[in-house]
Order: sequence, then structure tokens, then C-alpha cells
Amino acid sequence: MSEGQTNAATIAFEEVEKGFDGRKILDKVSFTVAEGEALCILGRSGTGKSVTLKLMIGLLMADAGKVLVGGKDMAALDEDGLMKVRRRMGYLFQSAALFDSFTVNQNLCMPLHRLDPNRSPEEVERAVEQALREVGLEKDGNKMPNALSGGMQKRAGLARALVLQPKILLVDEPASGLDRITASEIDDLLIKVKTERHTTMVIVTHDVHGARKIADKFAVLNKGRLLAFGTPAELDKRDDNLLQQFIAER
Amino acid sequence: MQKSIFGSIGEVALFGAKAIRDAFVPPFEGEYLLTQFYEIGVGSFFLVLAAGFALGVVITLHTRSTLVQFGATAEIPVFQSLAFFNEIGPLVAALLMAGRVGAGIGAQLANMRATEQIDAIETLSVDSFKLLVVTRVIACTLMLPLLTIFMDAAGILGGFLSEHIWSHLSWTLYMHRAFDGVALADFIPPTLKTAVFGYLIAVISCFYGYNTNEGSDGVRKAATNSVVISSLVVILADVILVKCIFFLFPDQAI
Repeated sequence: MSEGQTNAATIAFEEVEKGFDGRKILDKVSFTVAEGEALCILGRSGTGKSVTLKLMIGLLMADAGKVLVGGKDMAALDEDGLMKVRRRMGYLFQSAALFDSFTVNQNLCMPLHRLDPNRSPEEVERAVEQALREVGLEKDGNKMPNALSGGMQKRAGLARALVLQPKILLVDEPASGLDRITASEIDDLLIKVKTERHTTMVIVTHDVHGARKIADKFAVLNKGRLLAFGTPAELDKRDDNLLQQFIAER
Repeated sequence: MQKSIFGSIGEVALFGAKAIRDAFVPPFEGEYLLTQFYEIGVGSFFLVLAAGFALGVVITLHTRSTLVQFGATAEIPVFQSLAFFNEIGPLVAALLMAGRVGAGIGAQLANMRATEQIDAIETLSVDSFKLLVVTRVIACTLMLPLLTIFMDAAGILGGFLSEHIWSHLSWTLYMHRAFDGVALADFIPPTLKTAVFGYLIAVISCFYGYNTNEGSDGVRKAATNSVVISSLVVILADVILVKCIFFLFPDQAI
């Protein structure tokens, strides 16, 4: 997949390598995510799953290979180009990463004010209300992040990621630290976003149950290499013990 | 070791230069800048007033015990005002800011880095450097001269009260003596030099906070480095700036 030939909401990894302190975290990883598709990245801790997400949004740059988002090579973009690509993306962090000195409302307002200064305060307020309503936090906008439970923080983080109506949503461990019911609610929200907005999604998770609900495709990483890539049905048919350990529901 | 020290100095210098360059490029983050003015300026106001007043009292007590031996107690007010305008006000206000604001900036930014809040700002297509660093650098640079003026005023007030209790000197006479022979050059250049101190404190504190990524230990290191290094750099910069002021205003050196 070359630059300029892809849709704005597609992602492609081409032979991507990334290491830290001499240790290779990703080794020649290649896959593509089509527009509107949901990819779940599975694998052991420390195999580069979160690094993969950070490469997609340009928080990290590949040591070798190409990361293409909407056909744009992330490594070739300057700061302005990177900002433009990021405008089409939302990112839900594992810890939600809400700004702890702002209320939930202010967390959501911040990108709206800056990226669209022509928007009136009423329009900003409406957009924030709508985003919070979508995640069921319409009554919690004035709370500080530390007054929210883990699940509510995840929802608020998701609302912030969605407030700019991104074409691509990157989600890091949506179920981590949450009970089964709350994790399932977050999964349902992601499915709703995918079906209603046709948003391209890449989700890093250990939760195979949730991944099977959301994903069109799985990418399984092991020791920095792509162990398998395909639809859950395709991967289920493979006779590979290690792979089945990663993708089988227990 | 030497390479790492010079390397660090170079990195801080580039960081500070980027802050100056970005300060003149829109968007100017006015709302967040006002928050920083409030947190840095208003938040330090009472500390600076209290410290200035206490120092004013103490310095008057010390100078009185010395000057009384020479029958020169009438010089206490002018000694007090010159001491505060030239050195005590600027330097102590800067060291207080390094302690209170520098540690706060270092710890806050390091915590934001550790909890991925800075990454989150970047993912929202907002320039985290402009939002978090440039606003703090501007606020510290502009607020420290103002805080210094309040510290000078509190110091002179403290000196007056101490002198009034001791010798019943009137307010009018004290102020007349305090400003007799004091030129604008005794007040303006030393006050303006604190803008440089404010800039240095903010740049060093932001540098250690913004660039750390070591969890809670990184927060501790960033807070400590912010205070220790910015205090040291302020004292060293003071030596250079005093020499510059003497060069530009030779009458002050006499």
C-alpha cells in the first residue's frame, strides 16, 4: 500500500521495527486496517502492543519500515502535518489520561476550543453534552477526574477521544482494571461507535471475550513479531497451540 | 561527566530558545496563560509579602546595632531601601519563586508525563509544549518583577515598623530618608533583571518536568532538580547581571 492510494481512515504497517535501549520491541511487523474495520491486537504484556498504537498516532516513530495513516508516512510528516493527521484520530489511553486539574467538561472542551476557534460557546457546550450523553456521563461533567471511578474515567476518556468525531479510534486496554460488567459496557460503547459512525478502530487488549465482540480482525503479537493476522474465524481454524492460547476464550 | 553537563546545558538552552520562539507564534493560549498568571503570581503573593516584611524587620535590627556605634542611625532607611531594591528583593523573591513555583512546575509536568496526560494533549492535536511550557515561561518572566516590587515594598514597611518601634521615627521622615539619593537606576535595572530570573526558573523547571519519564521517582527528581538547579543558576546569573548593570550604569558601582 503506497502513499496517496489509501483512504483517510486506513492504517498500514510495512515492515515496522521499533526498539528501546537496544532491545527490539517490534520486528518487521506488517498489517493493514481498512476503513471502518476493527482490529484487535492481542499478545503477552511487553510484546509491543501499546507501542504499536503510539506509532500509529505519531507519539513514537519507527526505527525502520513505514507507518502509513490515510496513506501518509508518519515519519515523513512535520509537526503541522502530524497535527492534521491526528485531527482525524482519537486515542483512549489505558489510564484514560484525563487532565487532572480540569473538570470532565473542561477535558472535553479543550480540543474543541483550540481546533475550531470559530465554534461558539453554545456549540462547544452542545458537542460536550452529546459526547458525555453517549457514554452515560451527562450528569458528571462538572466533576474532577479523581472523583470518578475507574470505569467512569474510561468513559470520560472515551468521550474526550470521540468529541472531535474521529475517523480512526485507537484504544489501549479498554478492559484493564475494570470488572467484567463495566468492561462489557465499554465494549458495547465501542461497538456502538463502530456501527453508528463507521469508525476505524484499533484496540489493544488482553480481554479475548471483548475482542471477539468488537473485532473484524485479530493481530497477534509474540516476542515483537506478528504471530498471526486475520479474522477470528480464520485464526480459530489454525492448528497452532501458541496462537490458540492467545485467542481462545477461557 | 563533563560531556553530560555540557550536553544538559545545551539541551536546556535549546529548550529555552524554543520557548521564546514559540511565545510569538499563535495560538497564544490566553485562557491557560491567565490561569498561570494567577497560580504563579497570586499564589506567591502572600509568601513574598510575608518574607519581605520579616526580612525588612530583621535587617533593620541588624543594621541598627552596627550603625548606632557610628552614630549613623539616620542612614538606616536609605540602607534598607538600597539593600532591598538592589539585591535582597530581586534575589530573595527569585529564590522563593524557585522554591515554590519551580518545584510545583517540575512536579506537575513530571506527573503529567508519567500519567500520559502530555501524550493525551498531543493526541488531541494540541501542542503540549506551547500549552504547558510557553505559558509557564511567560507567566514566570512577567510575574517575578511584579512580585519583586511587592517584596521591596513589604521590606521597606517592615523596616519602618521596626525603626518606628525603636526610635519613634515618623512614616514621612522614614520615607523621605529612604528615598533620598535613590535614583531610578537603583530600582529599575535590578527589578527588571528578575524577568531573567523568572525566565530561567521556568525554563529549568519545565525542562526537568516535561522531559522526565520515570514514574514517581521521576516526579521526585524533577521537583528536586527544578529547585536546586534553578536556585543555583539564579545566583550565578545574578553575579553576571550585577556586573552588566554596573557596566551600563557606572554610578551604581560607586
